[in-house]
Amino acid sequence: MNHLNKTIALLLALVFAMSFLLCSCAEKEEEPVSRDLFAMDTYMTVTAYGKHAEKAVDEAVRELNRLDALLSTGKEASEVAALNKNGGGDLSKDTNTLLKAALELYKSTGHVFDITIYPVMKLWGFTDQNYKVPAKEDLAEALQLVDAGALDYDADAKTVAFEKEGVAVDFGGIAKGYASSRVIEIFREQGVTSGIVNLGGNVQTLGQKPDGTDWRIGIQDPEDEDKMLGVVTNHDKAIITSGGYERNFEEDGVVYHHIIDPETGYPADSGLTSVTIVSEDGTLADGLSTSLFIMGKAKAVNYWQKHFKEFDMVLCCDDGTLVVTEGIREAFSPADEDATVEYIE
Amino acid sequence: MKKKDFLIAGAVLLLAGVLTLVLRLSGGDPGGAVQVKIDGKVVGTYALVEEQAVPFDTDYGHNLLVIRDGKAHMEEADCPDHYCMEQGEIEKTGETLVCLPHKLVVEVVSGESSDVDVVAK
Ligand SMILES: [Zn+2]
Repeated sequence: MNHLNKTIALLLALVFAMSFLLCSCAEKEEEPVSRDLFAMDTYMTVTAYGKHAEKAVDEAVRELNRLDALLSTGKEASEVAALNKNGGGDLSKDTNTLLKAALELYKSTGHVFDITIYPVMKLWGFTDQNYKVPAKEDLAEALQLVDAGALDYDADAKTVAFEKEGVAVDFGGIAKGYASSRVIEIFREQGVTSGIVNLGGNVQTLGQKPDGTDWRIGIQDPEDEDKMLGVVTNHDKAIITSGGYERNFEEDGVVYHHIIDPETGYPADSGLTSVTIVSEDGTLADGLSTSLFIMGKAKAVNYWQKHFKEFDMVLCCDDGTLVVTEGIREAFSPADEDATVEYIE
Repeated sequence: MKKKDFLIAGAVLLLAGVLTLVLRLSGGDPGGAVQVKIDGKVVGTYALVEEQAVPFDTDYGHNLLVIRDGKAHMEEADCPDHYCMEQGEIEKTGETLVCLPHKLVVEVVSGESSDVDVVAK
């Protein structure tokens, strides 16, 4: 009897000890695999979970570096630099996809999204951080070159020709969204079912978190770098925010930001301080975040009502009002409970 | 004899508990700290409880990281854009300060856990 008691007690204790150990091992298995890198003029982090994570994130980093080398306007050896230098040329698979997406956005946004804005961005110094307010004449001249509709694009032959001397394109408005989508594709191909990509604040999620809950993505408060506007819970979505706070400079007491209206050549002044797009399509989300910022609330709401199947959005107006669309009504929670939130159906 | 059995069982349980605690702590939370990477290489880890000013001078340039009241911010930088100085204070796990031109990243590696996974900005 004594002996039996002793054995039972010891066994129980062992089971306890084992379960504790197993618990901490199980936790270890859900540790994320992350890599970070500098590419596309930003700081990037890619994170995947599960047994395929290691290979998937390595593959993702390779892809991001490849796209950086291909699309960077500043790198002479890039395909985009060559297109700009030669006034067009043959398109690779990626640039062909990007150009097609860019021209669709150009059409659907009523010419607000325009990849030929590059010469104007250059004048403002947003391409090389030599910020200055351009002279009116220079700006007018550069604006003459802005017209994505004049690009002679042959989808079958996969070529593009620029009509005028001086025309230049920049995929910067959709490149990061395209890149995050490519990373998610790679994750899928590698058998990863849970992961998250952060390309300098452009976020895209794959699946849910390993614990089976949705990702919680904060949205930056454009007025205060230490605060958030709110949180969007989601899975399998790109969440991309644009605002004048991201990149700007001050001259003679006036702040000029980097989201240039192709209509005027000046920073958009539409009454919005930030636009967040939530969509399955990273490329679309990226392009729309700046386009709808330029459009302003009324046109943005109108655009959403025509394309509500493709995306949802959170607009932050300059009076602090938040505009949230139906599809993320439940998923979005404002950080400030007293915030005025307008829901759009 | 019975008493001794319980003592043994108790001792084993205690050992299991201590072992678990040690394992968790070694993989877990020694209090908030920031890790600084330059060009992808970890150059240092600094406790958030300790008030300190840490300079980083490399071929890329100069940055001064200041830790105060359990938060870290970039006090000085001679980068052209100064965006690193405009990123506010960080204190929660995963939050970062990034100086792109200097390839410098400050990340909270073990601190209070954040309410969100990532912030879109
Ligand atoms: Zn800096």
